[in-house]
Amino acid sequence: MAVLQWIQNLRISTSIAESDSLWWGYAWWLFIHAVGMGLTAGLGFIVCLRLLGVGRQIPVSSFRVLFPLFWIGFYVNLLSGTLLFMTDATGIARVWELYAKLVCLGLALVVMSRLRRFIDSDQSEGAIPPQIRSMAYACIVLWLAVITSGRLIAYAVEANGATI
Amino acid sequence: MIVGFGVFILALLKKSDDLKRGGLAVLFAIALVSLPTYMTGYSAQKSVKGMPGIAQGVVDLHQRSALMAMIFMEATGVAAWYGLWHSRRRMRSGAANTAAVLLLGAITIGLMSSAANVGGEIRHPEILATPETIPATEGLLAPHWLASDFITKYQYSHPWAWKTLETIHFMGLCLLFGVVLVGNMRLLGWMRNAPLEGFHRLLPWGVWGFVANAVTGMLFFIGQAFQYIENPAFHWKMLCILLAGADVLYLTWHDEVWELRANQTAPPMVKILAASQIVLWIGVIYFGRMLPYLGDAF
Repeated sequence: MAVLQWIQNLRISTSIAESDSLWWGYAWWLFIHAVGMGLTAGLGFIVCLRLLGVGRQIPVSSFRVLFPLFWIGFYVNLLSGTLLFMTDATGIARVWELYAKLVCLGLALVVMSRLRRFIDSDQSEGAIPPQIRSMAYACIVLWLAVITSGRLIAYAVEANGATI
Repeated sequence: MIVGFGVFILALLKKSDDLKRGGLAVLFAIALVSLPTYMTGYSAQKSVKGMPGIAQGVVDLHQRSALMAMIFMEATGVAAWYGLWHSRRRMRSGAANTAAVLLLGAITIGLMSSAANVGGEIRHPEILATPETIPATEGLLAPHWLASDFITKYQYSHPWAWKTLETIHFMGLCLLFGVVLVGNMRLLGWMRNAPLEGFHRLLPWGVWGFVANAVTGMLFFIGQAFQYIENPAFHWKMLCILLAGADVLYLTWHDEVWELRANQTAPPMVKILAASQIVLWIGVIYFGRMLPYLGDAF
C-alpha cells in the first residue's frame, strides 16, 4: 500500500531504521518498548493478583497510585510501538499477529479501566465481588496474550523476509 | 555449598533459628552464583577444545553432570529462599520445607562431587582406568538430553521452541518487574498506608517470575553458548542480576525493613537499596535487549 510505503520512507522512520546509535536507533526503541511493557503488563499483573487475594494486607485503595504509572507505560509504548512500526510499516502491517495484539490490547485496556473504576470507588474497601475477580482473571489472560502476540510479530515479520 | 549445608544441619541439631537462616542465606547465595559459574564452563570448554590429551567424551560428560548438579542446586536455592520467606512470616518454616532443603541439598552435593570427579579426569586422563569407565556415571546422573549438542539441535529442528522460550522469558520479565516495582515503591514511600507485610506476600510471584526467566535464559545460553560468552552485553546483564540478587538477600535479611507497618517510612539506607534495585532490573532489561546489538546474539 502506498501509504505504508510513504510512512516507511519518512525521514524519522529511516533515521531510526538505519541508525546504529544506542540512544536513538532501533535497539534503543526496542528497549524502551520492553520497559513500557514491564510497566503496563507488570503493574497489570500485580493489580490483578491483589484483586484475586494475594497480599490481602495491602488496602486495595493504596494501588490507586499505580494507575498513573501504568498509563505512563502505556503512552511510552504507544510512542515506541508506533516508531518501531514506522521503520518497517509495509512488513509489519502484513502479519495478522499485529492485529491480534491490538485487539487484545484494546480489550485489556477496557478491563483495566473497569478495574480502576472499582479501585477508585469506596467499594474497594470491602470484599472483592465475584465479577471483579473474573475480570482480574480475564485481565491476566489478556496481558499474556498481548505479550505473546507482540513477541510473535517479530518472528512473523522475519519469516516474511523483512530487512530488520 | 558444603559450608551452607553444614550450617543448616548444625542449626537443626542446635535448634537455632538464626543459624538456620544463615545456612539458608548461604544456600540461596550459592544458587545464584552457580548460574554464572556454570556458564564459565563453556569458556573453559572452548579453550580446551582440540587440545592433545583431552577426551571430548569426558568433557561432554562433565557438562551434562554439571548441568544436572546445577538444576538441583537451583531447586535447593528456591527451597532455601522459601525457608527464609517463611521465617519472615513469623511462622517456623514448615517441616516440609526443611525436608526439601535437606533432600535437595544432599542430592546436589552428591551430583556436584560426581561432576567434579569427571571434571578432574579432563586434564588427568591417567586417572581414567579404562575408557569404559566413562559410561558408568551416564544414564540417570547425566542424561543425554542435557547435552548442549542435543539442546542446540532441538532448538534448530523445532523453530517453535525458541519462540516459546522467548515468550515465556518476556512474561517472566513482566511478573518479576511488577513485583520489584511495587515492593520497592513502597520502601521508597509510595502506598504508605499499606504495611510491608502485604508486599511480602507478593514476593513468591516475583521469585517464580525469576525462576521462569532463569530456566528459559539458561536454555538460550546452553543452546547457543558461543553467542553469549564473549558478548559484553551479556556480561553486564549477569553483573546486574548478581547485584540485584545481593540487594534482595540484604533486604530479606534486614529485620528493620520487614517491621514497617502502615504509615511508617523506611530508613534512608533501605531507600537507596530500593532505588538501586529498580535501576538494576532496568539495567537487566537494557542489556538483555542489547544482546543482539552490543554483541551478536539473535
